[in-house]
Amino acid sequence: MTIPSIDDSIFVQRFARQPSIVSILPVKMTISGLIFDIQRFSVHDGPGIRTTVFLKGCSLRCFWCHNPEGLRMTPEVQFLPNRCLTCGECVVACGHDGQHLDEDGRSFERQHCVACGSCVEACVAEALTLAGKRMTAEAVVAEVMRDRVFYETSGGGVTLSGGEPALQPEFSAAILAQSKAEGLHTAIETCGQVPWASLEALLAVTDLVMMDLKQVDTEKHHAATGAGNERILANARQLALTRKPLVFRTPVVPGVNDTAAEIGAIAAFVRELVSLRAISSNGNGPADISWELLPFHRLAADKYRSLGLEYRARDLNPPPKDQMAVLTEAALASGVAVRAN
Amino acid sequence: MPTLLVQPTAFTLAARYEALRATKMAHTAEKWQVVGAMNHDDWGLILPPPDDQEIVQAMSGSGVMINDVRLKDIPIERNHPGGGSYGPVAVGRSFRALLDRHPVYVDPASSLAGATMVNFMSYRKQHWNPDLDYSHLHAEQRKYQIHSGIGGAQHFCPDLAIGLELGYGGLLQKIAYYREVNAPEHDGFYAGLADVVMGTQDWIRRHAEAARQMAAAEAQPEVRRNLEEIAEMNDRLATEPPATFREACQWILWYLVTARMYDGSGATGRLDLLLLPYYERDTAAGILSDDDAAFHVACLLLRDTGYIQLGGPDAAGHDVTNPVSYLILEASHRLKIPANVGVCVGDSTDPGLLKRGVEIMFEDRLGNPKFLGVDRTTEGFARNGYPLELSRQRAYSGCHWLALPGTEYTLNDIVKINLAAVFEVALSEMLSESTHPSIAELWERFAAHLRRAVEVTAEGIDFHLKHMGDVFPELVLDLLCYGPIERGLDASAGGVDYYNMCVDASALATVADSFAACAHWVEGERRLTAHGLTAHGLTAHGLTWAQLKGYLESDWAGDDGERARLLMKKAPRYGHGGTIADDYAARIAQLFTELVKEKPTPAGFNMIPGLFSWASMIAMGKEIGATPNGRHAGGPISHGPNPDPGFRKDGAPTALAVAVAAVQPGYGNTGPLQMDMDPGLGRDAEGIEKVAALIRAHFALGGTQINLNVMDKRTILEAHKDPSKYPDLVVRVTGFSAYFASLSPEFRQIVVDRIVSEG
Ligand code: SF4
Ligand code: SF4
Repeated sequence: MTIPSIDDSIFVQRFARQPSIVSILPVKMTISGLIFDIQRFSVHDGPGIRTTVFLKGCSLRCFWCHNPEGLRMTPEVQFLPNRCLTCGECVVACGHDGQHLDEDGRSFERQHCVACGSCVEACVAEALTLAGKRMTAEAVVAEVMRDRVFYETSGGGVTLSGGEPALQPEFSAAILAQSKAEGLHTAIETCGQVPWASLEALLAVTDLVMMDLKQVDTEKHHAATGAGNERILANARQLALTRKPLVFRTPVVPGVNDTAAEIGAIAAFVRELVSLRAISSNGNGPADISWELLPFHRLAADKYRSLGLEYRARDLNPPPKDQMAVLTEAALASGVAVRAN
Repeated sequence: MPTLLVQPTAFTLAARYEALRATKMAHTAEKWQVVGAMNHDDWGLILPPPDDQEIVQAMSGSGVMINDVRLKDIPIERNHPGGGSYGPVAVGRSFRALLDRHPVYVDPASSLAGATMVNFMSYRKQHWNPDLDYSHLHAEQRKYQIHSGIGGAQHFCPDLAIGLELGYGGLLQKIAYYREVNAPEHDGFYAGLADVVMGTQDWIRRHAEAARQMAAAEAQPEVRRNLEEIAEMNDRLATEPPATFREACQWILWYLVTARMYDGSGATGRLDLLLLPYYERDTAAGILSDDDAAFHVACLLLRDTGYIQLGGPDAAGHDVTNPVSYLILEASHRLKIPANVGVCVGDSTDPGLLKRGVEIMFEDRLGNPKFLGVDRTTEGFARNGYPLELSRQRAYSGCHWLALPGTEYTLNDIVKINLAAVFEVALSEMLSESTHPSIAELWERFAAHLRRAVEVTAEGIDFHLKHMGDVFPELVLDLLCYGPIERGLDASAGGVDYYNMCVDASALATVADSFAACAHWVEGERRLTAHGLTAHGLTAHGLTWAQLKGYLESDWAGDDGERARLLMKKAPRYGHGGTIADDYAARIAQLFTELVKEKPTPAGFNMIPGLFSWASMIAMGKEIGATPNGRHAGGPISHGPNPDPGFRKDGAPTALAVAVAAVQPGYGNTGPLQMDMDPGLGRDAEGIEKVAALIRAHFALGGTQINLNVMDKRTILEAHKDPSKYPDLVVRVTGFSAYFASLSPEFRQIVVDRIVSEG
């Protein structure tokens, strides 16, 4: 199976119609959402020591995505055949003919699976796991608060990532609002491919926005991610007009944006954002916009396999150090401050 | 000149550091060849000349069997029919005989002379006098696998200030003075002390003489000058107290190497405070540069890997961090060999020390320094009923421990209860006796047995204290304590003012996870909702007590056994946070603490609980059968207060830090957090700051001490495959650090598992 296209997910349309209701929600109302991981001691997703909550479901399909379990909007079973003991417990546990063990060997028939999780519970080898768990915002925040002392000593907090947090705007807003009420620093990582209203609604409870910029050429963007970049660039401009600290991030991916010209074009766009903000703020306060280049890493092969997805980036090589240096040069030449990681 | 010495290419400090390190590597390589695996501290010990070596099996100061190399033909005075050497007179004379025969060691690249080549303990075949029988304790000590500490030496801290003030001549006079005052009492004890001092003096003089001869034969003028200085300095130090910074380092080295040789002591304490007056005087006089000072300290660290505290409060609570604190840190950084330097982290302690410490940690990747939660240990010790002024003076001076320099006797790190053994007794008793076993009953039985284990431990401590002075008095450490010389009593026998006896518990995670696995799979709710038996005869969602019994007895034999084992391993784990296993870990730690603090030993000595396994995870697991956490029979137990590797998918250091902080006993002894980190984290100032924040947070939560490694998974895996390719790879194994290649394969596996799952 290849990566499901965006068009088969109804959520984009659904949330596109969603008005900006989240900012007026009472904080304590019980809202639940779908997440696929909560990672403590997260140190690359904003200032200080953080906990990153990964929300499930994304509106882009970047072929190199290193969190493929975050793409779909529904829970799904991951199967790692190399851990399987062929004990057959999952076969007994499944009421939907999803798990097979016979002369032909062991197979997982994803098309029958309704992601009920019974086989996952029965599997002692942890060859079967469930990506996607419904949690209330309160439960998420309770988990996040376990590391409060670390946020205090480091100036850290919580980051919502994904997937795309703005695709579950009420849930995200509730987590962020409750975290803020606890005094935490809050951040979101967005791909930008969401209605402005959904993003805007989160800003009141977000201290830092991190957003991807992958390509300024919309055709190329479409080829790489399954969608054009018009909405993303528009949202970036909208964000520049606010006073929120912004970090733009460019994953440097071979064939997608790894030439000096392409990085230079992104740099020019970032420069435009910086001046937009300078004009809109009338020279008041710092233009708190920064930009980072992150080399692509080929680490997700196992995850793609476990999800029955094709890993189209499997033969790509991470950009070597000297190439990253050249690209950083190109970025700096456009007069924009950039940090390469 | 000793063999294997690497000469510096030029007589510059940089070249001398280089040469010292190369010599150290040559010595270490020689030890790998002759001694084999060493699952213990790198003591800075070097081997005797090849024609003077003999190899024996011996018990280390920390109570494990090691291959030991000793000098031939030492005339040990054996005064027991069994061949033992007991009591101050025989021991003092024997040690002096060893010193008399001990080769000299002068490295022209170093600014200091002297090195230890043997353990005196290796000659004392039977450490404990068999006439002093404690067979009435044997059965229960074995049952609960108690490390009783009986006959255990050192593991408390002398006050070097006494020696720096008096020098060896002054010490000898002090001994003579009190010998007369107390005559005719304790005459043998004084004779023993005097033998140790005189033996040391002669040994120092021989070094002076050797240095002089080497100088005479030396063509290079700077090298000759250095050797002449070493000769002159040691002529003086044989009797006089040190006058300069370099002399103070040399004096401390003499004391540390003799203490190390005598019984393995590595307690150094607050070196930054001790050296400060000399540093101030010499720099004011313009005779000492910071680079020279760091070099002298490095030469000291090279020859003894003693445990050192940097910074922290004085009695009044003011931070003592000073330029020498930074110099010592810098010296360990420039030297780049295993070292045991501890940096204080506390509300009033200079935060720069922590920052510099973390920078060095990531730059060198040698597990150095370690981090001390000084506010928590201070408050904790005060909880025993001591004033804060006293608590603040308790200094970091051993693997995971602290002691009041010169005034406290502790048996730190050598008294241990194996919680896994206690649990095993409780579980097998219940499974064979009880008609309706339950988790509640298991807890009751565990608590009852643990109570008994603590009592047996206390009885052992009393027995040790009663007799140790007559068996093997602390003739080196006594010299620098307040009281032993004055009173004529060994530190173990009333010589010092404070007795706070260490009792550590090991295998916390093994037992907490076992309780949790039983609660979760054997009688948890899941089992009640189980939908019947599967083809494998197991309920799909759990097993019965009877099944568990069978699996444990067969060590999870067969496919079904393996499945059951994996099932039990899948239960919630201590360290994850908010699980039933985390609750059990906290309950067990609390129960243990309460039992230790409930009452003093029968003879009235205070006990202090801690959580530590030292490096004995393998040895302590050998005799334990399969445990319900999915551990195989004979497998290692868990490490100190740490959760077992794999406790959480993300291995989050914050989760680890929260877990270990939550189980601290809280009476001033530690439960050190062992943590392994990926080098990528410290690549910039922001990352360094995050690690520093993590360390501060652990201590804010109640943590007491942190042992950190910075190591990437690939390197450690490659080194595991072929250690000889990474001869200078150093890991902080636990409270101590060592060359990775020095460890046994079994032990390396433990370190690798930990780093791969956490790093
Ligand atoms: S239960 Fe797990 S181990 Fe057993 S056959 Fe199914 S996937 Fe494999
Ligand atoms: S998740 Fe449910 S439906 Fe899917 S394979 Fe497992 S048991 Fe069957």
